[in-house]
Amino acid sequence: MIVRQFELVDFRNYVQASLSLTDHITAVVGDNGQGKTNLVEAIGWMATMSSFRGAPNEALVRVGTDQAIVRAHVEHEDGRMLLIECEINRSGRNRVLVNKQRLQRSRDLLGVLRVSVFAPDDLNLIKGGPGIRRDFLDETLVALRPKYDTDLRDLDRIVRQRNVLLKQVGGRLSADVAFTLDVWDSKLAATGEVIGTARAELLRDLVPLVSAAYRDLVDVDVRIDMVYDPVWRRTGLAVALADNRSDDVRRQLSLIGPHRDEIDIALAAMPARTHASQGEQRSLALAIKLAAHRLVTDRIGSPPLLVLDDVLSELDPRRAAALLQHLPAGQVVLTSADVLPPDAGAATVLRIVRGTVVS
Amino acid sequence: MAAVYAQAVQTLIDELGRLPGIGPKSAQRITFHLLKLPTEDAERLANAIITAKARVRFCEQCFNVSEDELCSICADPRRDQTVLCVVEEARDIIAVERTGEFRGRYHVLMGAISPIDGVGPEQLKIRELLRRLGSDTVQEIILCTNPNVEGEATAMYLARLIKPLGLTVSRIASGLPVGGDLEYADELTLGRALEGRRIVD
Ligand SMILES: [Zn+2]
Repeated sequence: MIVRQFELVDFRNYVQASLSLTDHITAVVGDNGQGKTNLVEAIGWMATMSSFRGAPNEALVRVGTDQAIVRAHVEHEDGRMLLIECEINRSGRNRVLVNKQRLQRSRDLLGVLRVSVFAPDDLNLIKGGPGIRRDFLDETLVALRPKYDTDLRDLDRIVRQRNVLLKQVGGRLSADVAFTLDVWDSKLAATGEVIGTARAELLRDLVPLVSAAYRDLVDVDVRIDMVYDPVWRRTGLAVALADNRSDDVRRQLSLIGPHRDEIDIALAAMPARTHASQGEQRSLALAIKLAAHRLVTDRIGSPPLLVLDDVLSELDPRRAAALLQHLPAGQVVLTSADVLPPDAGAATVLRIVRGTVVS
Repeated sequence: MAAVYAQAVQTLIDELGRLPGIGPKSAQRITFHLLKLPTEDAERLANAIITAKARVRFCEQCFNVSEDELCSICADPRRDQTVLCVVEEARDIIAVERTGEFRGRYHVLMGAISPIDGVGPEQLKIRELLRRLGSDTVQEIILCTNPNVEGEATAMYLARLIKPLGLTVSRIASGLPVGGDLEYADELTLGRALEGRRIVD
């Protein structure tokens, strides 16, 4: 799959913009605040139907307008051309059209266009809270199999319903409410097991790739562990929920399940969050993202569009060079505020000034 | 801010805007469409609303919309008295009827279990359902709630409640758009889902 062209209308600070991508590296340069990351956000939106900055829809629509449009002209392996159009509405549902045909379920877009975004914030994979690591694993799952999107959204909904019920219970569980809570527990257990198993299997395949990518970047062989071993997976979630019920009722919160899990990351057998240097953390975060990108490439059979948003400036020159040298095959969009390093190898350099592609 | 429209116009826009699925823009468009109508057309619409509201009530047995104590389905002796299809809303009956695959009767829950919306089992017509099962000829229950989290939870709740009574309980097959509403499923898909229903165990 090759993305030939992107078009933005009324997206963030863009009135209208169009950019053609090359087969390999397309560089986008511009001073900070001109709209480089907005562009990346639009590209990412088409892959995940959400902002990688976590921004709500209304923040994506240009001030004074009701609707943003993002379009991509995509060429498939078999030569088919796809025109993907997303209408992001300030209020109301988004609409997605593929070759001018409206998708009945917008979320069927997931899996049509895959994008890996690397950004300076990826450091939070190591330094941030467990939610960031869970989200990363879950997004990778959806990139591998879009059906997990439904499971994840169901899980989120079930947990929210169960939490509200626990609040309504107010610490005292009658037999009637216990009967209703049993139903939510069964739903949570069924969906939770699906997600737990998927995460564990993903991590099993991912860790060797992380080690390899880390070696590529820093040229030292060091042991990397990423451990996903929530206590509930030892007994099964149904049993764990039953065992933990009195705690949940007392605290009025769903305290166990995939929504609370941690992924422990260790470098040389020490917790990376507390024991690795800033430079090691940055390389490790990058290695994890590269590994996921490679895994998706292997499984899907074609590389996602890789976006490096302001990543090079965060790395020391040696690691930046190592990253460029080990860039996976496929299309890359590389944004930078600075002049690009000579070995970036970009076939096209586009310049962004105040939401306009100057080229 | 000064009023943009005359008070009567604004009132109509506001009232239309409170209807499900109608945003502020549609409300405006419909309002100006209505204002252009010949008086008798507008009166016919207004009367249709008033008449429907005055005449239509809920069937005392199944909570379908009805003009009499019993709806036309409950009152029809040719309907299969042994099978009951449980749906969330009266509009779902129309979706199931369109398939032509179901000849039994219905029970409308008037919602689905959803703590977020303040709806528990006691807010639904579940007590009434159990009463029907206790004194009726029903042998099979088909759970036709929506294929989303709340609909699935409601189906599971009902299955656990009803199974001990010794009735056959089945759930419409998956294959419906996941997370969707029954009313948006096309006849063919819903028909197949009914046909492929599976016994809940
Ligand atoms: Zn009736």
